Amino acid sequence: MATTSGGDKGTRNLVIGMILFIVVVGVIFSLISSRANSTAAIPATVSEAEGYGIVLNPESSPKIDVYIDYQCPACRIFEIINGGYLNEVIAQKKAKVVFHPMTFIGPESVLAANAAACAADENKFVDMNLALFQNQSESENSGKWSSEYLVALGKSIGINSSNFETCVNDGNYIKWTSNVAAASAKADVNGTPTIFVNGKQLDRNTDYGDQAKFKAALAAGGVK
Amino acid sequence: MKAKFFIYQPWLTFMARLILGGILVAAGGLKIDNLQKSAMAVRSYEMLPIGVANFLGYALPWIEIGIGLLLVIGVAVGISGLLGALTMFAFIIAISQAWARGLNIDCGCFGGGGKVDPEDTKYLSEIIRDIGLLVLGIYLYYFPKGKFGLDK
Repeated sequence: MATTSGGDKGTRNLVIGMILFIVVVGVIFSLISSRANSTAAIPATVSEAEGYGIVLNPESSPKIDVYIDYQCPACRIFEIINGGYLNEVIAQKKAKVVFHPMTFIGPESVLAANAAACAADENKFVDMNLALFQNQSESENSGKWSSEYLVALGKSIGINSSNFETCVNDGNYIKWTSNVAAASAKADVNGTPTIFVNGKQLDRNTDYGDQAKFKAALAAGGVK
Repeated sequence: MKAKFFIYQPWLTFMARLILGGILVAAGGLKIDNLQKSAMAVRSYEMLPIGVANFLGYALPWIEIGIGLLLVIGVAVGISGLLGALTMFAFIIAISQAWARGLNIDCGCFGGGGKVDPEDTKYLSEIIRDIGLLVLGIYLYYFPKGKFGLDK
């Protein structure tokens, strides 16, 4: 009897040890994979100091930070309501605008963010940003945004370079999307869209769904 | 009455282990798929410093899976049940304070989480479910010996 219970105890300790091992390895793996990787390739317009965001008009002020996920329906609505004005602000260099394409909705958010970064290298970020929202799928990760689709989408807005095609097909900036995610986590961004003007977060209950209020909020932050 | 309880008790322990353990494994497993979202869910409670919240978001899914596996397999049932109950107690506190402060978030219990529209919050049902699981955890702490467990 004594030996039997000793054997049971051994099995028991072995199981506890294995489960502890899984938990510890899992936690370490998760922590490492969630950290920004400084060796990741980044587009020329991306600044590590700006949370790995795509920076437009780096010399202008004030600063507007835009956190979006290309698969987020609320972001599409935000783009429809306020995208026109925001693009006007960008075109007229009235503000430095930093885009942070987050990817928490899943794999196709990563592909879309990569394609947007590839477009930034072709000086076509604003157009690609708009085109992605205009062609957002009805459901998340539906398979619509394949590499072929995103290359064709780029062509439709006039990006014909082979660099862009390679960049999208090879996923040149896939690792960079993890850096954006890590920086967004540090910036305490818990939903999309989230907009900051000079570091002050706009009120999501009022400012995103109404162009007049969005303009007023930007004006209050110094966008003239 | 008392004698009857002692007949059923090992089976009740077995059921409680499967329910609490199974739910913990499922909850952890669903979060591991999207750690960005898991960290976002913890941050949304606005209780912890950002660094701690992010750490918890990455670590919690594995801890849930660990406690869940111990319960399902039936090793260290008493202590695992207690840990499970403590986890549920922490969730109940977190959800209650979010509700009391008028935050509009999803609990992120099974993946998901983060900000939602005010009409999409379901704090009461989340709290009731977690109280049920808390009771199972406490029961397992007091009655760890059950059917089909590795513990003897």
